[in-house]
Amino acid sequence: MSIQENIMIPTQLVDVKNIDDSSGPYCMSFGFDLRPLIRSIDSIGLLNSPLLMKTVQERLNIITGYRRIKAIKTLKWDKIPCRILSESKLPPLECLLLNFHDNLSTRELNCVEKGMALSRLTAYLPDSEIIEHYMPLLDLPSHEDTLHLYIKIEKELEIEIKKNLAQGRLSLHAAKMLLEVDPDSRSSICRLISYLKFNINQQKQFIDYIVDISHISGKPVSDLLGEEPVKGVCSDEHLNIPQKGRAVLRFFRGRRFPSLTIAESTFKKMVAKLDLPDGVKIEFPRFFEAQHFRLEVCFKEGRELKEKIESLTRKEGLGNLGNPWGEGV
Amino acid sequence: MSNFTIKEVLVEDGALRHSLTNQILQRLPGIPVQATKGVRSKASSNEMDMGKDTLHLVFYKGEFFKPCPGTREYMCCGYQILNVATNCPLNCSYCILQSYFNQPNLRVFVNLEEELKRVLHVIDSEPDRIFRVGTGEFTDSLAVDPITCWSDLLLPAFSKRKNVVLELKTKTTNIERVLDSKYRDRIIVSWSLNSPYIAAREEHGAASLKNRLKAARQCQSEGFVLGFHFDPLIPHPQWKQEYLKSLELMDKYIDPKRIIWISMGSFRYMPGLKQIIRRRHPKTCVLDGEFITGLDGKMRYFKPIRTDLYGFMRENMEKWHRDLGLYLCMESDDVWQMSMGWSPGSSAGLRGYLDRRVVEFFG
Repeated sequence: MSIQENIMIPTQLVDVKNIDDSSGPYCMSFGFDLRPLIRSIDSIGLLNSPLLMKTVQERLNIITGYRRIKAIKTLKWDKIPCRILSESKLPPLECLLLNFHDNLSTRELNCVEKGMALSRLTAYLPDSEIIEHYMPLLDLPSHEDTLHLYIKIEKELEIEIKKNLAQGRLSLHAAKMLLEVDPDSRSSICRLISYLKFNINQQKQFIDYIVDISHISGKPVSDLLGEEPVKGVCSDEHLNIPQKGRAVLRFFRGRRFPSLTIAESTFKKMVAKLDLPDGVKIEFPRFFEAQHFRLEVCFKEGRELKEKIESLTRKEGLGNLGNPWGEGV
Repeated sequence: MSNFTIKEVLVEDGALRHSLTNQILQRLPGIPVQATKGVRSKASSNEMDMGKDTLHLVFYKGEFFKPCPGTREYMCCGYQILNVATNCPLNCSYCILQSYFNQPNLRVFVNLEEELKRVLHVIDSEPDRIFRVGTGEFTDSLAVDPITCWSDLLLPAFSKRKNVVLELKTKTTNIERVLDSKYRDRIIVSWSLNSPYIAAREEHGAASLKNRLKAARQCQSEGFVLGFHFDPLIPHPQWKQEYLKSLELMDKYIDPKRIIWISMGSFRYMPGLKQIIRRRHPKTCVLDGEFITGLDGKMRYFKPIRTDLYGFMRENMEKWHRDLGLYLCMESDDVWQMSMGWSPGSSAGLRGYLDRRVVEFFG
């Protein structure tokens, strides 16, 4: 009998209390917001009945409908219309695939859920088949490294980090970086990222700085994050969250790149001393790596441009402007 | 032979009929040999050891002769790579090969002899051009020479030609076959050097600095022209004193007048290498410096740190001898000016400078 024929069975009302609602071997739901589903079921009822499996021990395990059952429990229904299969009818891989396709047809899985799906599939299928057939269904590139990354996300990351990832507060790139860090450190890092609401780029920079500084100084990440400048910034009531985030990043950047930071601020001071005309800017190349500085002049008409150029030529300090470092930085 | 062992030999289908395969297998009695149909994927090898103890004999269908992969943004010396193998039995923490190739194992190309004819044809077809050729870009030139005996094949082929030099670049002391050869002309034996601190801590499996220089002295005393490469220079605690120790050792063992060139380069890497280094060498110090993204997308030290390194080394090497053929690998005009006091101005200028060194030393 095909899977389709197996599940074309009539629904029956099942006591909610008899259903084992632990996530079980087929579930791939994580970090979801149940509220919209609760509202939907509350207003129009249950449209699609869950599929359960009755085990030889007479337990009812969920094959599909994990979130629906959670929502219904929240709504305090006593009974749920379900379809019930007996354990001998459908092998575990087919149960898993039912859940997989049931989820794919109704929503997009988050990163953790993709990891759960792939991780569960590896118990039954060779990596090559998962890479070729199932990763494209999850909108993932068919790469072995990607498969291993998602499995590691599911198996190795702590629950709080997974929640942040699933809810979009932590980027996939940051999660990947955190997998290279010890569990204590990554939990501390994740807490601060979550508090400071760093964007994707800031998360990457922050992890990069803090991990490097920890390696160089031999101090644990948690110690570094507990140091006074960071604590002070985070508890400063005069700063809003984005300001705190920028201040923390600035602090760690200065610590990771002391020479570069000094050079940048020295150059800015050198330019400030020139007292340039309004609408005139001099900027250094990124990291001072290219050989040319950049002069920008804003003007409305040629006369204004001429005046600004003449004003510039009279600036005595201009001739001394250059790289802001001497011997032996 | 250096401190590494071959535990397994894989022979690809296409490599079976080659005489170099048979010769190599005869030199490895008792080592398990396995025929393979194709290429083993990276995942099937241990990522941490990269298959460094597995010798993989390959019929290589790619390019055997190609220019060094320099980038437009920095001045490149115009070196030509003779691609005899990929990967290396040594295990330097900073090695770019850790992320450069997607295939594991020590891959030796057994069709070198046939392909060498094509390479020599290219060289012969441009008699007015000087080719500076090396085998030490994608592997160590001499680390597996006791097994592959590349020098038996390469030294006579290159020594006979007047528009080429062959540079064998190594961190080992495997000079026996080179010394046994009767060929000296147009052959340069080179050593990669570093500070004793970096050599001991980061260049795993390589010969000690002292032993490298003893080997260099032996080559020099037996008529070989020498080259040296301080690449990658790495700032580390007490780096000035440490690099001075290296220069003192050079002074002790080497006659500077028979050094054709000494290159300097600071540590640079593709961004993806960082995680690999952290994973494979958790105690390394090579990632500690202030790295910025260079104009070629690679990570490199902030400019004044580089000029400080080069300037210090230049000043002290020039105290030893004024005419060492010092040059910088993949640097910009302003870094040359600031650290060396002059600049070749362009990649073509740098090529010309090094070609003139070749003419001075070999005619």
